[in-house]
Amino acid sequence: MRRVVALVAMVALAVLVGSAAFADADRPLAGRSISIFTAATGKDETFAEFTKDTGIEVHYLEMSSGEVLSRLRASGGKNLADAWFGGGVDSFIAAGEEGYLESYRSPEAEMIPDEYKSSGGYWTGLSLVAVDLIVNTDVLKEKNLPLPKTWLDLGNTDYKDELIMSNPTISGTNYAVLFHLIQIYGEEAGWDLIQKMDANIPFYTKRGAAPPNKAAMGEVAIGIDPYDIGVQIVAQGYPVVSVFPEEGVPGFIAPIALMKGAKDMEAAKAFIDWCLSKRGQEVQMTYTAKVGTRPDAEVPEYLQGLGKAKIVVADPVKVGEMRDSILDRWQQEFGDKAEQ
Amino acid sequence: MGIKQSSSTHSKGAFLPDASSFLYALLAGGVLIFILWPTIAILKESILVDGTFSLERYRDLLTGNRTLLKNSLFVGWWTTVLAVLIGLCCATYVTRTSFRGKRAVLGVLLMTLISPPFVSSLSYIMLFGRRGLVTWRLLGISWSPYGAHGVILMESVGLAAVAAFLIMAVLRGIDRSLEQASFDLGAGRWETLIRVTLPLAAPGIVTAALIVFIRSLSDFGTPMFIGGNYNVLATQAYMVAMGSYDLPKAAAISTILLVPAFLVFLVYRKLMSGAPLFSSKSVAAGDERPLPGAVRWFVFSVVWSFVLFEGMKYGAILCGAFVKTWGVNFSFTLQHLNTLQLTKLGSLLRSVRYSFVAALVAGLMGVVMARFIGRRATLFSRAVEFIADLPFILPGPFFGIAYLLAFNRLPEAFLGTGFLIVANCVYRQLSLGIKSGVSVLKQINPELEDAVRDQGGGGLAVLRDVTGPLLMPAFLVSFINTFTFTMTTIGGIIFLITPYTKVLTAEMFDAIQSGDIGASSVMASVIILVAMAVNVAFSWLLLKGRKKGSEVEYVPSFGATR
Repeated sequence: MRRVVALVAMVALAVLVGSAAFADADRPLAGRSISIFTAATGKDETFAEFTKDTGIEVHYLEMSSGEVLSRLRASGGKNLADAWFGGGVDSFIAAGEEGYLESYRSPEAEMIPDEYKSSGGYWTGLSLVAVDLIVNTDVLKEKNLPLPKTWLDLGNTDYKDELIMSNPTISGTNYAVLFHLIQIYGEEAGWDLIQKMDANIPFYTKRGAAPPNKAAMGEVAIGIDPYDIGVQIVAQGYPVVSVFPEEGVPGFIAPIALMKGAKDMEAAKAFIDWCLSKRGQEVQMTYTAKVGTRPDAEVPEYLQGLGKAKIVVADPVKVGEMRDSILDRWQQEFGDKAEQ
Repeated sequence: MGIKQSSSTHSKGAFLPDASSFLYALLAGGVLIFILWPTIAILKESILVDGTFSLERYRDLLTGNRTLLKNSLFVGWWTTVLAVLIGLCCATYVTRTSFRGKRAVLGVLLMTLISPPFVSSLSYIMLFGRRGLVTWRLLGISWSPYGAHGVILMESVGLAAVAAFLIMAVLRGIDRSLEQASFDLGAGRWETLIRVTLPLAAPGIVTAALIVFIRSLSDFGTPMFIGGNYNVLATQAYMVAMGSYDLPKAAAISTILLVPAFLVFLVYRKLMSGAPLFSSKSVAAGDERPLPGAVRWFVFSVVWSFVLFEGMKYGAILCGAFVKTWGVNFSFTLQHLNTLQLTKLGSLLRSVRYSFVAALVAGLMGVVMARFIGRRATLFSRAVEFIADLPFILPGPFFGIAYLLAFNRLPEAFLGTGFLIVANCVYRQLSLGIKSGVSVLKQINPELEDAVRDQGGGGLAVLRDVTGPLLMPAFLVSFINTFTFTMTTIGGIIFLITPYTKVLTAEMFDAIQSGDIGASSVMASVIILVAMAVNVAFSWLLLKGRKKGSEVEYVPSFGATR
């Protein structure tokens, strides 16, 4: 009996060692695993492709970028994950400045224009996220409301309780909207519009994905929407349309970064390289409606619609610099209504 | 009989004194480390500002956030009133009327009891939202579903089951001959109900009210999903901890939650010391007289409205899992199920694994500790029991943030493996295991153990032949409860989740938060199905065991706040 057990154990060991040694000659890091923080659509499918290519397993926790930043601050430098994938660039800039990120210039990033990269190498732009409005046409018809065409329209009192956005202190998308409005209308008129919009907003949600979903359900008429989420909702057949406000919409960078003290630097770097490679970018564009930052990656048919929009890409440095002052003011004036 | 009078000293000696003392020290140490230490850690965090003692945070909270406190108490009060009313009606219906359909009512109650606490919010929006199936499609009304009214309604129906099972246990235990005596002395049906039955049931009703109140206070999911801009303390604690990660402030907020909970706990311990957790067989006494007609019909209509409401709630979730786009396209699809299979299977398996381990550990620890505590009335044992009882009432966010603070510096191996999540659940449920063990042990005649020893059996033989089999039902009860709890809880463990330890409730929480109805519905259905299957399987085991003469009855989990 004992001999049989020993034999079985040896065979099992041999199989394990053998498979590790030979099966993955072209995937040197196969069998390792990394952990990441992420706020992105299509991640499950994208990461599955990555695992297929490299054999590295991905464990992720979904968190808004603002949440990641405050968690990093609270943990005081203790490593929490290996990499950080997607979200608002403002949080990445702050995290880089405060020393939570590891500088890494991926060889794949050479193709990517400089304006999409951190000068210190702390983060690299993965893709460009646009913001649009998801508008429920049934609700508009029922309430006899016109289709909003501009950001200015959103301040119209007719839309009382029919507009929703998410808490900009947590959601990078919605911080980008505030930033954008202040950029195009100037300090005074910008805040004036934000205040008028606030009067129409019953409450602020926590996740950036919630407003378009609430508009799709008819809970409100208009939801401020990260474009990649709205595309899925339109495809699901809800009675909604996507509207790009005429003044132009904010386009902001969704970055990727290496965390300081990553447990498996090598695997985490491999992950970043893959995400910035031509193949990785094309995989991402298949599963999430964001245009990749790599010029040589092919943009799929369904994303061509973005071309009609007037996208204003925000200067990431300025986005980072103004974050505290804009959010502090917002928190003071409107923070009470945020969904808790 | 006369041979061994000094049985207690003898039995201690025979049961491997060193090993058992060591085991006891180990278990007691666990209670101190995993309950007392985190509690101290969170209290400490809330009163230290830059290393010195200060009540500044509490002052800020009480002056700046008075609305939150007021909202919490408002929701808690009305939820308690409504939940206890519904619970009382259900309990009366099942134990005191001759109406049909008791099994259906019990089934719905059980289902409500074991489903994750925030499932209600999901179906609330599906059914009663601004575009809800009922409110908009059927009734055509346009109203605002977000606010205190929705929170109170959904918490009430969700917690009614807790109240119902507690009150049921007490009603079953009431000696029917007391009512009989009242009738014989000439009292009418109304007088007997008001002056005999209700006072006798009062401890159960008060306990139910207290537990419902604490659970309402510590629920952050419902107000978060359907409260709109109506905020309560629990949601604020969650947001401050997870959103801005200001742990000292979160500690202070959840400590404020603790104050009413602790008061309730003292009352609860006093009441529960008399009432059995396992209801004994009710005393049958001659012919029973029906309740007054008005009461019967009131009970009937409340109970069936509740059952109908719950039926719709779970029906909506089940349908939501299989229709393409809720509210727009109701055609059948397996697409959401496939998504679950593709991406969330790992979390589901992890949930089941954690639940199983937690249930096993809590069950074993419970009965072993019951043996120690039940037989030794030292001050230390009583202190250990008191501490073990604490987590039963600690608000989920409080216990979760406490773990975060106490064990944040543990090596990665503990954090990445779900050790903390399992420990959190085990210690939340431990007191129930101890209690059921103690109540079973009370029924065992100590001489039975001595008899085995006299025949030459050692400590192990006693355990194998006497104590073990008798404690089996207590173990099973604790197992089912802990399994269900771990499978469905979110309040405490959400603070302990890492990329490697995602569980299905956390995934569902995210999905509801993002408004993804299809995915949320699938996950909710799966969680409920797994919990239900385990409950049915294990209560069957329990019932089978009962035929061998044990007097234990299955009382499902009404326990700790989730």
